[in-house]
Amino acid sequence: MNKFDLNAVLKAAKPTEGSDEYWNDIPREVLAQLRRPAPASPRNRPRWFPRLAWSFAATAACLAVILAISHRRGGTTSKDDLQSTKLIRETLAMFPNRVRAIVQDEHGLNLVLSENEDVPASTPIYVRICDGKQCASFVTFSGQEIQAGGQTVTVLADARGGIILTGNRFVWSNTERNRGGSRLKIEANNLGSVAM
Amino acid sequence: MVETDEENARVSQSQNGDHAAFESLIRTHQRMIHSLTFRMTGSLADAKDLTQETFVRAFRQMDTYRGDSKFSSWLCRIAVNASLNWRARENRRTEIHQLWSDENLDGTAFAEPSVDKLTLRVQAALDRLPAKQRAAIILTVYEEMSLGDAARVMNCTTATAGWRVFSARAKLKQWLKPRGPNHE
Repeated sequence: MNKFDLNAVLKAAKPTEGSDEYWNDIPREVLAQLRRPAPASPRNRPRWFPRLAWSFAATAACLAVILAISHRRGGTTSKDDLQSTKLIRETLAMFPNRVRAIVQDEHGLNLVLSENEDVPASTPIYVRICDGKQCASFVTFSGQEIQAGGQTVTVLADARGGIILTGNRFVWSNTERNRGGSRLKIEANNLGSVAM
Repeated sequence: MVETDEENARVSQSQNGDHAAFESLIRTHQRMIHSLTFRMTGSLADAKDLTQETFVRAFRQMDTYRGDSKFSSWLCRIAVNASLNWRARENRRTEIHQLWSDENLDGTAFAEPSVDKLTLRVQAALDRLPAKQRAAIILTVYEEMSLGDAARVMNCTTATAGWRVFSARAKLKQWLKPRGPNHE
């Protein structure tokens, strides 16, 4: 099946058509919502409020996790923290469907959380990226984007354990090493079901 | 969709709070947004909710629309973001996944009289894609956007959008490849 065949198949699928009543409902409902007083709408409070509140909450949560981890390890973190299945399991349990990545770099351990519970449950992936000067390790999931080596890197995994990292200037796969001649040194492996 | 002076005028009136002008914009674009959200969610109920949410958000953010992109692209961006962030979606998707499981990719097990088998099969395949890859396919195939425009809607680089399309196509080709007569 080539590109054009696939497009033809995709386009042959028609979305469900609604009745006239259905299409009249949408503007009616939208306008009704717009006319309703909206006490929690962004217009009624400063624009910075949600972001600030979220920042406080996220910072507090990250500090709590980092303190808990540091306390258990006598105040230090090691290179292998992100390979600790217990750490990963506890972190995922603490923030179900919100952990985009657990990051360990020169600043220590950090969490990247989603504002909503919208991160699909899947097998965690361990990624380590070194750019010659410094290294960063991540535990993340397929479909997530991480910041590494000065660029945004998308992490993808398939059902057979293949892992693909794609950045602005490179594509890397654990089956085809160093595509694109990247200067980055990368390792990635599937953490299996140990942290689920 | 061709932008006209009339539409620009309605956008401008909507930015001044004119509900009648905005209703006219909804009627012009609701089928396109509904089609996008339906393909993103695979659920008619979610699609309707998300279409409404898209227009409510759009009206409340009208002052941020500067006219540097097509109004329809700006709406698509809101709809894609709303679809990706839809909280309740995951709960409904669990039910949908149960209905449209792998076996249903042949389009035989889901009894929806008004929907043909091919549509079911395609929607089941779209539903199996990661959300961002699904959005990339919907924007480039169904909305016929260029990779650059799709990247802007998805707020990512053209390379990332290209990779999402490439990955999604590889999976869809596998899932939707024609089968022998024994499967019919």
